[in-house]
Amino acid sequence: MKSLERVLGPERYLRIRNTSVLMVGAGGIGCELLKNLILCGFGTIHAVDLDTITLSNLNRQFLFRQKDIDQSKSLTVVKAVQNFNYNDCKLEGHHGNIMDTEKFPIEWWDQFSYIFNALDNLEARRYVNKMALFLRKPLMESGTTGFDGQIQPIFPYVTECFECQPKVTPKTYPVCTIRSTPSQPIHCITWAKEFLYHQLFDELEDKTQDQRRQLESETLDRQEIDNLLRESNELAELRRMVLEPGSQFAQELIHKIFQVDIERLVNIESLWRTRKVPEPLDLLELQHELDALLQEPRSQTILVKDTSTWTLLENLYVLIRALESLQKRISSGEESCVPFDKDDEDSLNFVVAAANLRSVVFHIDPKTKFDIKQIAGNIIPAIATTNAIISGFLVLASLPFYDQEPRSRGDFGPVPQTSSTVFTSIRPNKYVTAAALSQPSPLCPACSLSARGILHVSQKDAPTLGQLVEIIKKKYGYEDIALILGKAKLIYDVDFDDNVDRSVLEVAGFVSGELLQVQDDNDELENLEFYISLGDKNELPELVLRQKVKEKEKVKENEENGTGELNNGALEPVEIIDDEVEEPPTKRQKILDIID
Amino acid sequence: MSLCKTRLQEERKQWRKDHPFGFYAKPNKAPDGSLDLTQWTAGIPGRPGTLWADASFPITITFPEEYPSKPPKVKFPSGFYHPNVYPSGTVCLSILNEEQDWRPAITLKQIVMGVQELLDSPNPDSPAQEPAWKAYSKDRVTYEKKVREQAKRYATG
Ligand SMILES: [Zn+2]
Repeated sequence: MKSLERVLGPERYLRIRNTSVLMVGAGGIGCELLKNLILCGFGTIHAVDLDTITLSNLNRQFLFRQKDIDQSKSLTVVKAVQNFNYNDCKLEGHHGNIMDTEKFPIEWWDQFSYIFNALDNLEARRYVNKMALFLRKPLMESGTTGFDGQIQPIFPYVTECFECQPKVTPKTYPVCTIRSTPSQPIHCITWAKEFLYHQLFDELEDKTQDQRRQLESETLDRQEIDNLLRESNELAELRRMVLEPGSQFAQELIHKIFQVDIERLVNIESLWRTRKVPEPLDLLELQHELDALLQEPRSQTILVKDTSTWTLLENLYVLIRALESLQKRISSGEESCVPFDKDDEDSLNFVVAAANLRSVVFHIDPKTKFDIKQIAGNIIPAIATTNAIISGFLVLASLPFYDQEPRSRGDFGPVPQTSSTVFTSIRPNKYVTAAALSQPSPLCPACSLSARGILHVSQKDAPTLGQLVEIIKKKYGYEDIALILGKAKLIYDVDFDDNVDRSVLEVAGFVSGELLQVQDDNDELENLEFYISLGDKNELPELVLRQKVKEKEKVKENEENGTGELNNGALEPVEIIDDEVEEPPTKRQKILDIID
Repeated sequence: MSLCKTRLQEERKQWRKDHPFGFYAKPNKAPDGSLDLTQWTAGIPGRPGTLWADASFPITITFPEEYPSKPPKVKFPSGFYHPNVYPSGTVCLSILNEEQDWRPAITLKQIVMGVQELLDSPNPDSPAQEPAWKAYSKDRVTYEKKVREQAKRYATG
């Protein structure tokens, strides 16, 4: 008997050897996870990722090497593990977007017994969650940020899904704060990156109208709006100068941005009644010293001093060098534009220096290049050790599912009751904490307000929309319904029958992979969400719809059931590293946009 | 997102069952023959006995993806004459402002009634355009004349 077989037990070993699992994401967590899945002997493993490998991945995504840069992550990762594929697992890499319904139709998803998420963005996580709900497959969600990590097993409709807890959306700042009255380093960094850099070097669409509208919605100060719009127009002039080699571009830009524009702002007195008046840069006064610095070859070293704060002159120096370099790249025709990228030294240097100069003007403390890179690049520190620990838990937590005979779809046996979500951190006594899984939230927009299934429509013999309406009503017991396609296209309700005589295939947007929502016009039965699959048969899923519970009653019901957790509800610390104590995690933070 | 469309269809249904007299509201028809639940056109009747009477003022209501967490945007035609309407036509009303009084429970009916209320009771604390605002606070005769002229342009029947 092989050692793996002894560890897993012969029956579970066989089930794992004969199953297929899906891993979504082949980055920081993905590399670690794939290693664990292979060493655990999963029979077939598919890996999907749309990214290619970059230099900054190499420090922690240990399956990638210098020679792999620019190659597909998913295709590289499956090759890289071959030299320790001792269990002969079958591997398939797919380079593509997991949300691509043509490449990954729902039938493709159905081959897997477990889905592992190793993702770094909210949109894809939501999508995979939805697929797991449609197919009622177990999903293992994960995320890490710095030393914090979390895994959450999701058993659709039995435990909380990814969307049961609302997600916080990223913070945005009012345009006027960014453009006229910054008070924190982040305001200056946002201005330098999103506004100045973007206007000068990035691809532009014509947004003048939008801009005016947005400004109008935020300030009433006519003078301020006109001023901001004039600034933009003048900037467009400067952008044209980027294309003319040898022009006085750098000097003129600095003069305009940090002197002329600021002087104009100072004149809008209404802005400064409660704020400190900004101080325009006096370039004439600095010119002499700046020239000296520019002529000195050793000044180059400033560019790599990224953990100390640059002086005013040093910032000017860096800005001029970055501008020259960017101008050269664009005017030579090599590149038509240079979108901001934290790993592109020129664009980063530009943003750091411009943000700092603006900070000086507005009496805000400047920051180091290192700090600004983190902020401008939206970098959440990724720590290889956290990824490794979390990936270990991901696979361990999936094993109980294979300890039982396969059951019918959506029936997970007693496994959800004994499974836990696990948190890791470096806070004393909270290195590893586990909590029982909660019941689905009765107000969850993804898993509680609607039933789900696949709607098969024959391409040869498709019904008309009117026929489809009648079939749905009859099959599920609705008296009257509304049909909404995709995001918000109403294609039928009692007051809107324009499309009933058309074949559903002629209804715009009625395609494979699109979602069709059925709403009960009488509010008796729950909503129904179909995943449309065009093929060679007409078939509706077998579902028994629940009576609609009014939302207020739902909340009440949940309160009566106490915490809503599956077992006794206590958060149990797992005593692994620190054996002292039992405080629960500070809060049950949820996997958010936590990074790869 | 699914919360957004579910709620919008619910609003449509509620409106069909019960809406205030003289008002209309409907989702716009998209070029592909469907109805776009995120874009509505509505008509606000001026209250009888006010400067705004005997007219129906058209508005567009645009619902964002995050609705009902975030409020819809309501617009009159651009250049609409009212102290709390921006030159672009956007209505400045506290129940339509996420940072002020917007709550996800506010219904379409409450929104259009709120806009009707605003017509004859401008809010002096949130001026949104120069001409109507100046006239309203300093020159009522001109203000009333302009409002009546505008009402004539949108006269009903
Ligand atoms: Zn849920």
